[in-house]
Amino acid sequence: MRKVSVDKLEPGMKLAKPVMAASGIALLGEGTELNEKRIERIRDMNITAVVVEGVATQVVPKEEMLNRLDARFKNVEDKPYMNMLKKAVKEHIEGLYE
Amino acid sequence: MSSVDLKIMRGKVENINALPTIPSTLKRLSVLIEKPKITLDEISRFVANDPALATKVLKMVNSAIYGFPGRISSVSHAIMLLGLNVVKGLLLGVSVFEIMQKSMLGLWDHSVGCAVVARLIAVKKGLKEPDEVSVAGLLHDIGKVILLLEFSKEYESAMEDAQTQGVIISEAEKDHFAEGHANVGAWLAEKWCFPRNLIEVMGNHHRPQLSRIAQTETAIVHLSDIIIRARGVGFAGDNSLPVINAAAFEMLKLTEADIKEILKEMENSLEETEDISQA
Repeated sequence: MRKVSVDKLEPGMKLAKPVMAASGIALLGEGTELNEKRIERIRDMNITAVVVEGVATQVVPKEEMLNRLDARFKNVEDKPYMNMLKKAVKEHIEGLYE
Repeated sequence: MSSVDLKIMRGKVENINALPTIPSTLKRLSVLIEKPKITLDEISRFVANDPALATKVLKMVNSAIYGFPGRISSVSHAIMLLGLNVVKGLLLGVSVFEIMQKSMLGLWDHSVGCAVVARLIAVKKGLKEPDEVSVAGLLHDIGKVILLLEFSKEYESAMEDAQTQGVIISEAEKDHFAEGHANVGAWLAEKWCFPRNLIEVMGNHHRPQLSRIAQTETAIVHLSDIIIRARGVGFAGDNSLPVINAAAFEMLKLTEADIKEILKEMENSLEETEDISQA
């Protein structure tokens, strides 16, 4: 899923998360396909972005993310379970860019 | 450099309702929840008088952090579904949000991330009250907020030390304070009449081996804190990672595959919570 700001919504996009009113009540359910009318309704609400289906584009480049990960683990890598945690997080981060 | 005395620290916590640095919403909330027997009515009335607070709390309970996305319409409804302690904790969480943004940018994201991961682990482990564990995750670093507000010079030099020595902030705190943020958090939780197990989790999240009545919950928050930092979400006062307590980790019996699954689910929940702060 990915977050799209309301001015970049297009018909055919599918909501991956419900759209909530300020009260927290769901107005459009998960899985709703957007059309012009629904997009207009969303734009009338006081929200900035909605979550739609599809792959997110990451802001920070992958190399940079992995460098920061290395830096965080630098002093603790040899401690029990920290290496396992690092491997899990590294594979997880790589997955975000696929 | 001399460190801040224990008595002075405790005194600040005891008198939190009178401290000029504490924002008025938090003070009024603190006065309300330090009464041992508080009713649903009193909480509802308090929130009704502060619409901005109500909106934030409802956004929070209707987000993916909790199990009722989009279905909770009022604070009293939230108390019925989530319990008084969870709602108290959420009110505190959203009341300190603004101070967090001003005093330590990234601490809110770290706290929410920790709450999300803690709930995911608690559900995976079949705990009866995953939302209480999540609230413990949300509030686990609240002691840092108080230390930053009341002893900003000392806390900033502790953060500098953490940076230059490459240690975690709770280590660096030891040279500047008689007690660390975890214990300060536990004092606050005690003052605000949170249950014993929640106090224990907050006080021991860096040394889970000391917990007696809430060992599993403490182990969960201890691990969630490390997982969310490892992923690089938010900022908790340092750029290093605490080391996993082996006994706590073994007690939870989580595999590498479990952790990857938790990370994946966390990513989805966090996307959705980004807006909460904008309420």
